[in-house]
Amino acid sequence: MVALARKTLVHEWRRFLPAILAVGFAGLLQLLQAALVLGIFSSASIYVTGSAADLWVGYPGTQSVSLGRSIDPNVEGRLLMDPAVERVEPFLWVDADWRGQSGTGGESVYVSGVDPRPDGLVFARVLPPALRMRLREPDAVIVDQADMDKLGVRVGDSATINSYRVRVVGASSGLRALGGVNVVASLDTARVLDTDPADRDRPTYLVARLHDPAAADAVARRISGARGFDRYEVWTASAFARRSVLYWMLDTGAGAGVLFLAGVVFVVGAIITSQTLVAAVAGSVREYATLNALGVGMRALRWVVLEQATWVGVCGLLCASVFGAALLALARGQDVPVVLDVPVALACAVLTMGLTTVSGLAAIRSLRHADPASLLR
Amino acid sequence: MMPTTSATRVTLRAEDIGKAFMSGKVRTPVLDGLSLSVRAGELTLISGPSGCGKSTLLAILSGLQRVDTGRVFALDQRLDDLDPRALERFRLLHTGFVFQGFNLFPALTAREQVELPLHYLGVPRREARERAARSLEEVGLAHRMALRPAELSGGEKQRVAIARALSKEPALLFADEPTSALDAASGQIVIDMLHRIARVHGTTVLCVSHDPRLIGHADRVLSMEDGRILNDRRETTPGVPTEGLVP
Ligand SMILES: Nc1ncnc2c1ncn2[C@@H]1O[C@H](COP(=O)(O)OP(=O)(O)OP(=O)(O)O)[C@@H](O)[C@H]1O
Ligand SMILES: [Mg+2]
Repeated sequence: MVALARKTLVHEWRRFLPAILAVGFAGLLQLLQAALVLGIFSSASIYVTGSAADLWVGYPGTQSVSLGRSIDPNVEGRLLMDPAVERVEPFLWVDADWRGQSGTGGESVYVSGVDPRPDGLVFARVLPPALRMRLREPDAVIVDQADMDKLGVRVGDSATINSYRVRVVGASSGLRALGGVNVVASLDTARVLDTDPADRDRPTYLVARLHDPAAADAVARRISGARGFDRYEVWTASAFARRSVLYWMLDTGAGAGVLFLAGVVFVVGAIITSQTLVAAVAGSVREYATLNALGVGMRALRWVVLEQATWVGVCGLLCASVFGAALLALARGQDVPVVLDVPVALACAVLTMGLTTVSGLAAIRSLRHADPASLLR
Repeated sequence: MMPTTSATRVTLRAEDIGKAFMSGKVRTPVLDGLSLSVRAGELTLISGPSGCGKSTLLAILSGLQRVDTGRVFALDQRLDDLDPRALERFRLLHTGFVFQGFNLFPALTAREQVELPLHYLGVPRREARERAARSLEEVGLAHRMALRPAELSGGEKQRVAIARALSKEPALLFADEPTSALDAASGQIVIDMLHRIARVHGTTVLCVSHDPRLIGHADRVLSMEDGRILNDRRETTPGVPTEGLVP
């Protein structure tokens, strides 16, 4: 087969350049906004993604980690009964009020009560074992380096949480929260800080590690199905993390913003691309008409135009990938929160190819000018 | 090659055809009650003044345009009642075209221009390449096969267009003003080439032109005026050798 579409694209690249740039730019915008939004909202799931647990067990219907309610501690026994479960650990979430030393106004903080053992599951990926061990001291808390100024403390200072005196024993990094400040304490300290009588001796979550992390989906389904004690729900870590991020995106309207911008980028990209493709088809309309005179069907000619659109899309995507990778690397270097996973990158690629297909379909319409009778004058 | 005995066979026939164009509310008749037969193995030239309906007649006989009235037969098949898809199929199998403009894809080499329609005809890739090379040789462009239109002269471009039509091995070859964009010498080469194709391959070649210089090169000349054929003349001394196409 003579690769008419591809050869024309290479030979007349100047003509197609605007379309390739439009597609590439549209793809790049989609990619960057997705990475930025995911980066910002991924901190909503830092509790899950920063931990080494495979399963999360919490109050049924919990939409986000920050919205947990206490559950029956006896669920722990139920979890341990399952042969796939290796270890279970409680996690306590306390919404609290922080007052610094200078006696300034309060800050609302999220206190995470974690097991202070060096091999504890929660925040295993965020807190180094040595730092974590310091939580064993009575009334010890850890705050993030980036929140120190906001809270008005340094390591070694003391402050009050819910009128209870605590001491800052260390600084973490990468533990910033959405809409508040994270404070980490031991389970014992956190229990003391929790003023809600309904939470007495009840954990907010139980997290579990499995012998085989790959079995998480099946085990989660199995344990969820057999409810004997109190009401609870089981999620795999990845499902619970996704749930938390999604909740924040929808709750803050960021999700709608992303979709709106994606729509605008799609439409603008499709308009520019289709105009370029229409011009390209118009430029070759006499040649197409000649092929039709020779008996090459209109249907085959439409495929040529669509193939051309696809090549434009592929070239545009390549540009977007190269620039996108460079920009994301740059952003990471500057501590800009960007997160991109394979499904989201694929979704951006599919959207971009959809844009070029729509443009190709629009350009096909200008083939109707390829009337071979018009060549006879 | 096909013997000249087929020169007697009628391959194109128009019976009492009429065609008119509407421009606004005004109906302009272009062809009115025209009948005509064209034979295989010879070059038939339709000549006449500008606007007399030559191109319209060619478009109708080649299945590019429909008649308003009358009947059209090509290779014993009625064209006027075929649907557009069937007409496309008929053209794919049986017709070649050479137009005033060369209409070559700027991105393709001469050989690829010729190969392209063959693929749609279902010719396997290797055979298509060979047939394309053979056709280009036949029009004397063996040494120009790898060049793109921008690197070819006008006459060479028209010869590529002829090779593109020829490689399909069509029974019917239509040419509309094939020489009018060319200088005298190149036009001469092109018309002789069309003449030889008729002789060598037994092809029905129908050529339309207002250029009187072509008259001496045709086997048969139909003079047209105002949508009618006024004169049907057979040239008795064609004097064109039947061997090889290259002068
Ligand atoms: N698509 C069309 N719509 C309206 N009128 C048309 C159309 N095609 C041709 N005509 C008219 O039909 C008449 C014959 O046109 P045609 O192209 O057949 O002439 P011609 O003999 O080929 O002329 P020339 O030698 O200049 O090429 C002209 O008057 C032209 O204006
Ligand atoms: Mg004409």
